[in-house]
Amino acid sequence: MEKIVIFIVLVSTVLSAEITERALQKNCIACHVEQKIPSSLIYRRYLRRYSTHKAIKKSLFTYLNNPIQENSIMPKQFFLKFPQKEKSDLNETILKESIDAYLDYFDIKKELILP
Amino acid sequence: MLLSEKRSLFRFLSIYLSSTFLLFLLATFIFYHFQKHHILDQQYTELNLEAKRISQSLGELSSKFTTPLVYPYKKPFDSAIYNVEKEYIFGSFHPKDIQWNKEYYQKDNRLFHLYPVYPYYLGTAYLLVSQKMNYAPINDLFKISLLFLAIAGTFFTLLGLFLGRLFIAPMKESLAKMNRFIEDTTHEFNTPISTILTNIELIETFYNCDGKKELKRIAIASKTLSRLYEDLTYLKLNHNYHRDIEALNLSVLITERIENFNTLIEAKELILFLEISENIVLEMDRNDAIRMVDNLLSNAIKYNNKRGQLKVKLDSKKLLIFNTGMGIKKDEIKEIQRRFKRANQSEGGFGIGLDIVGQVVERYHFKLKIESIYTNYTEVTVIWKK
Repeated sequence: MEKIVIFIVLVSTVLSAEITERALQKNCIACHVEQKIPSSLIYRRYLRRYSTHKAIKKSLFTYLNNPIQENSIMPKQFFLKFPQKEKSDLNETILKESIDAYLDYFDIKKELILP
Repeated sequence: MLLSEKRSLFRFLSIYLSSTFLLFLLATFIFYHFQKHHILDQQYTELNLEAKRISQSLGELSSKFTTPLVYPYKKPFDSAIYNVEKEYIFGSFHPKDIQWNKEYYQKDNRLFHLYPVYPYYLGTAYLLVSQKMNYAPINDLFKISLLFLAIAGTFFTLLGLFLGRLFIAPMKESLAKMNRFIEDTTHEFNTPISTILTNIELIETFYNCDGKKELKRIAIASKTLSRLYEDLTYLKLNHNYHRDIEALNLSVLITERIENFNTLIEAKELILFLEISENIVLEMDRNDAIRMVDNLLSNAIKYNNKRGQLKVKLDSKKLLIFNTGMGIKKDEIKEIQRRFKRANQSEGGFGIGLDIVGQVVERYHFKLKIESIYTNYTEVTVIWKK
């Protein structure tokens, strides 16, 4: 019985992560890749400014809800090179989940290793 | 070196060495304290340099987009990075209970340095660098401090001894002069006293003389002089005198000595109480015992009232001599055991009696107990068994 419960929990976790990643791919990465927008660079820039995922999430959420240059920390040259994003039609919950998935996808902790 | 000289030298050395040692101890402690801080500062500086290096590497890593990002870890330093909310990001170690309010601190034999980072490269707001404390230079410093104390201590002890000898030289000279004087005087005493005593005995034996009372007085005075001579000789020769330790029958000896003091006792019309147990034997030199008993008896007679009481009690544990009389003031009891100290200036003597008793008592590890009520009585007990 225990094994079944553990199996179900594991499967549901994997499935949930996969669903979230698919949503991230669909809602964010796909477009970023297509337009060659450097997601990793944006993440690093936000990380350098805000230090925590919590603060980055707040700032990104503000920008994605109202995507104007003033709401972004990216420099002017960035917007000259890449097109200004249109307002997202995702609801608040999905948008927040997508930001979480984005931050988790690029999480610096996963990239660092000891020599 | 005489006891008083030794005592003076000891006192001088105690004061001189303790004050010097305290001063040096304080100076060494301050020196050690400052040097230790200096050594720790050097180790903290190493941490600071390492923190700067890591911070610079984090800046470089922040602009690098090929994964993985190799954390700039370098032995022997451990480090960890934290975000602005002090949450752990990554590191070669993960210490607990970080003291966020201190730039440098020491904990569990490790030194820590908290280094703020801005801009927040890879999200890093704080960089914690640590290394094991290097005790070797501190231990070396401790050894050097101890060595310095030991060398300074030895030097100042030798200097103290030299100065001490200089310090007591005038006193030594005075005592030597006094001893020489006593030596010369006693030497000159001996022959006339012996002549007087022999001639009194001859007069008493062969001539029926009218002045018996006067002769008795001359005999008493001569015996007093004779004892004084013996006391002074004893003091003078005390250090070099060869003792013949034997099983001494103290009961017999005390009876003999009381007999010897009979003339004095009769002259003062003292009431004598004797409680002398038979065959009390002690392992000691006969002359030491005579000097001790004679001086105790002599004092008990000398400082007694006319028609006063003199009690002599001897048992297996002690010798007790009690006399009525002027007694001794409570605060003077300790003082009178010193040489040339007399409780009462009205009687003759040099004040060497109790000093001799004290020396004998000390030599044989006896115990001397003096009880007295001023103007009433004095009771001196020599105890040899507990």
